Amino acid sequence: MHEDIEQLKDKFCITATDTELVRQAGTLLADFMPEFIEKWYAWLKQQEEFSLFFGSNSSNLKRVQEQQSIHWQSFFVAHINDNYIKERRHIGEVHARIGLPNDIYFAGMSIASQLLSDELWNIKPMPANIGAIANALTKHLFLDSYLVIDEIARIQNLRLSESHKAMMEMSTPVTPIWEGILLLPLLGILDSSRTQEIMNKSLSKISEERTKVFILDISGVASVDTAVANQLIKITKATQLMGCSAIISGISPAIARTIVELGVNIGEIKTTSTLRDAFEIALKLINVTVS
Amino acid sequence: MTIIKSEVLPLFTDDDLVKVRQAVRAWMIEQEFSLVTQTKMVTASSELGRNMVVYGGGGCARLECLNDFDRRGIRVIFEDQGPGIADISQALTDGFTTGDGLGLGLGLGGAKRLVNDFEIWSEPGHGTRVTITMWK
Repeated sequence: MHEDIEQLKDKFCITATDTELVRQAGTLLADFMPEFIEKWYAWLKQQEEFSLFFGSNSSNLKRVQEQQSIHWQSFFVAHINDNYIKERRHIGEVHARIGLPNDIYFAGMSIASQLLSDELWNIKPMPANIGAIANALTKHLFLDSYLVIDEIARIQNLRLSESHKAMMEMSTPVTPIWEGILLLPLLGILDSSRTQEIMNKSLSKISEERTKVFILDISGVASVDTAVANQLIKITKATQLMGCSAIISGISPAIARTIVELGVNIGEIKTTSTLRDAFEIALKLINVTVS
Repeated sequence: MTIIKSEVLPLFTDDDLVKVRQAVRAWMIEQEFSLVTQTKMVTASSELGRNMVVYGGGGCARLECLNDFDRRGIRVIFEDQGPGIADISQALTDGFTTGDGLGLGLGLGGAKRLVNDFEIWSEPGHGTRVTITMWK
């Protein structure tokens, strides 16, 4: 993912002076860093998430601690470039993968910020520009956490849209129920993106299976408004163009009355109240008698 | 006439429309309206809500449960700050549509036929407000 680094710095009001100040803080805090990591993990060990994510796996913990030490080194070098951003986004990716809750991440960043600024204000002799250093540090910390959290959010959104797509596909189960007869039971709410999906899947299935009769069962559809009716009419017209008869079944009394009062003209589309009726008609259409 | 309870729902996307439909259905069920009446009200809400999302640039739906002496009612008010409707009587005519044929042009007139009370206010450039009520 490419980001405009200058724009990002601008947004977080990070100037070249700020970056200089963070580097200065890095020099001032260099000796403190091992103790900082130690103190930070002392805090983390008290959190219930610690045992959840590390358990008794001490080699894992050691690896993560090393990573963290490298992370802070690069933080204080403060070269905000593509590599810096990539590293932060990688942390986000790891957090998203292990499902680390946001509260523990932000609490951790807050503790880190406290530890660092406490140490900074204790340095003797106190640097004259201590306030400016602390400010610059805060800006950089916020940018750092933003990048991590944004990556987590991006991955979560990706997952969500993937599962939405999967659900769309699962919710249009076009099934051949007899040679030449295709059934599509529709459930729930029909919106435009779903009807589009239904149209695509049904039409390709009709040509694949050389279907003669297509039954669209809407007994599970809660309400049919004009937009939905229009889509249903379009689907049946398209199937008819492909040389396949279409039957809409499962028109409940409530939906029938609503369609009439809306004034929808369904034209020559064959409709039935039950799926059973539709199936009987379909069998007749393909000249099959079942005894 | 008193308003027993009310709720305002945002209406900008297809997902919002789903929530409005579900809420209208739930309120109708709570007041023990018949299945046919429920379906009519939900469908009318769906029509008007869709109009708002597609043509009105989105807005909000206000659901109200009414008590009028011996009868109960559900009222839904759809309000947007969209382009408005220039000629309301023309818009209520079947087959009228300004869109690309998303619906069948039966939306407004159809919705009016589905409910007991139907009120429309619109001012070009300012928005549209449609109020529908179903009595029991």
